[in-house]
Amino acid sequence: MKRSIALTALVLTAAFAVAQSSAGKFPWLDKMSDDPDKMLPGVDPTKVTGNIVTSGSSTVFPLSEAVTELFVKEGYTGQISIDSIGSGGGLERFGKGELDVANASRGIKASEIEKATASYGSDPIEIRVGTDALAVCVSSKNTFAKDVTKEELAKIFSDAVYWSDVRASWPKKEIKRYIPGTDSGTFDYFTEEIFKKKKEPILGAKNLQMSEDDNVLVQGISGSEYAVGFFGYAYFNENKSRLKALSIGGVVPNQESVDKATYPLARPLFMYVTGKTLNDKPQVAAFINFYLSNVNRVIKRVGYFPAPAADLKKAKQAWLDATKGRY
Amino acid sequence: MGTALAGKKRPGEMMVQLFLLFAAGVSVLTTLGIVVTLGKESFLFFREVSPIEFLTARKWQPQIEEFGILPLFTATVVTSLIAMMIALPAGLASAVWLSEYAPEKARSVIKPILEILAGIPSVVYGFFALQSVTPALRNVFGGERVDVYNTMSAGIVMGVLILPLISSMCEDALSSVPHSMREGAYALGATKIEVSLNIVMPAAFSGLAAAFIVGFSRAIGETMIVALAAGAGPNLTLNPFRAAETMTGHIVRISGGDLSYDSIDYNSLFAIGLLLFLITLGLNMLSSRLVRKYREVY
Repeated sequence: MKRSIALTALVLTAAFAVAQSSAGKFPWLDKMSDDPDKMLPGVDPTKVTGNIVTSGSSTVFPLSEAVTELFVKEGYTGQISIDSIGSGGGLERFGKGELDVANASRGIKASEIEKATASYGSDPIEIRVGTDALAVCVSSKNTFAKDVTKEELAKIFSDAVYWSDVRASWPKKEIKRYIPGTDSGTFDYFTEEIFKKKKEPILGAKNLQMSEDDNVLVQGISGSEYAVGFFGYAYFNENKSRLKALSIGGVVPNQESVDKATYPLARPLFMYVTGKTLNDKPQVAAFINFYLSNVNRVIKRVGYFPAPAADLKKAKQAWLDATKGRY
Repeated sequence: MGTALAGKKRPGEMMVQLFLLFAAGVSVLTTLGIVVTLGKESFLFFREVSPIEFLTARKWQPQIEEFGILPLFTATVVTSLIAMMIALPAGLASAVWLSEYAPEKARSVIKPILEILAGIPSVVYGFFALQSVTPALRNVFGGERVDVYNTMSAGIVMGVLILPLISSMCEDALSSVPHSMREGAYALGATKIEVSLNIVMPAAFSGLAAAFIVGFSRAIGETMIVALAAGAGPNLTLNPFRAAETMTGHIVRISGGDLSYDSIDYNSLFAIGLLLFLITLGLNMLSSRLVRKYREVY
């Protein structure tokens, strides 16, 4: 008897929860908002229930991880899964309707939008969360290399044997290359930008050392004035005393050049979600709200750059438009 | 009474025997399992890549279909030879001293200490190579001549790692030479060094040779030191100051990433494994043949 009462109670609560999720105010609303722009309503993570499924870019992964950590620290008790399977893989699953949120280090393609719209019955919303600047580094002992062009970069990481093969005024010393392994997204991005997706030039280069462990690369590069390599900005940032980031075409990777989109190896970091998911799953709306309100608290520590303020506001506006009447 | 007992069934003893048989069986079956797996996966590899290309091409980069084992093989040989150049003289000398010169008291203290060296995890040795030996080499020979990752430092430290093994095996071989031979030589007026070098060492030759070969095959299979200190990219070079990746180091690095099964890269690891297995098997067989051929029976 007791059991059936409990069961009825459970059914009632469930029915109530469904009714509430399809309309009415979000249950997690809080008077205090973390949003520095004062656009988004406040989130009380302790009142957020339900799980969140995200997947995609390995570049976005550490950022999402840091925000999630904060979300959990402030009281969220559900499960957030963050799969790191690459932007393409994440958007493919998004197209099949399997995800709440897709992470991507490139813009969504028209064909992917089409599939997602068909699966969810609602258009994907693009949410810009930050920017990564891939850093090409030499040792701080290196006295000659300061700036390279993209064409020189292609030579440095392929068939040039000596530095003098790249630029005649540079010493006739062998180039020692330290690059991320072929499993990494950074490797993929670099070959895409510099070698138009061809792996042969870079993998055929002499004196090539590869590692999935960026600290191995940092140690190798910092150890010789004739060494060169690349990785996410985060690792350069952490080892500034030992490394020097080359400017590319005269553009130094920093906040300004990243904001102005003049640094050629800067890439936007995105999340994609549909308006329907935001409304059907209040926990996802809460997570995106929390993400946008707090991302700039952690992004520099993770090693990326804050998204341009206008883009962040645009993402917040998109959230507000999609959830009208719920806050 | 004795015969009556022999005929009696003793279930306890049967159990013990069965357990011993089982223990022996497990190790034999494990070996068989390894051979079968290695063979099967490398068969898949050699269906795509000819063994001739595998053994003779000069570049290893499976992602772009370069399958020449030579750069990995030479790095393995270079590091192992450097290790042997350290471990052989030092191991043999310490064995001669321990067996011929050391007073019993010193021996009983020093031998266990030497064996402690063998108990240090090899990853610690690897770190030592990278953090202490490499900087020292770079100080002596110049930072531009010596790479941050180089086969020399890995080889030297590997030599230290296998030194106790060689020393201990050599010492066993030398000690088992009967005292009557030494005494005979002394009686003829030989000095201590003459006895050690001309009588005891030749008599123990088979044991010494076996020790060298076992040490060498240990060096070839050693992994953590070379993975940490020798380099992380295949590089065909005999220069010990340059970075190069050994067969074992390559397997560690590639299998550490998320490699997809059924890819040629994945199978290529088994081909490397098979080659390593064949090399060490060959060396071990050589060593047991040497022991049999040159064994002096007293």
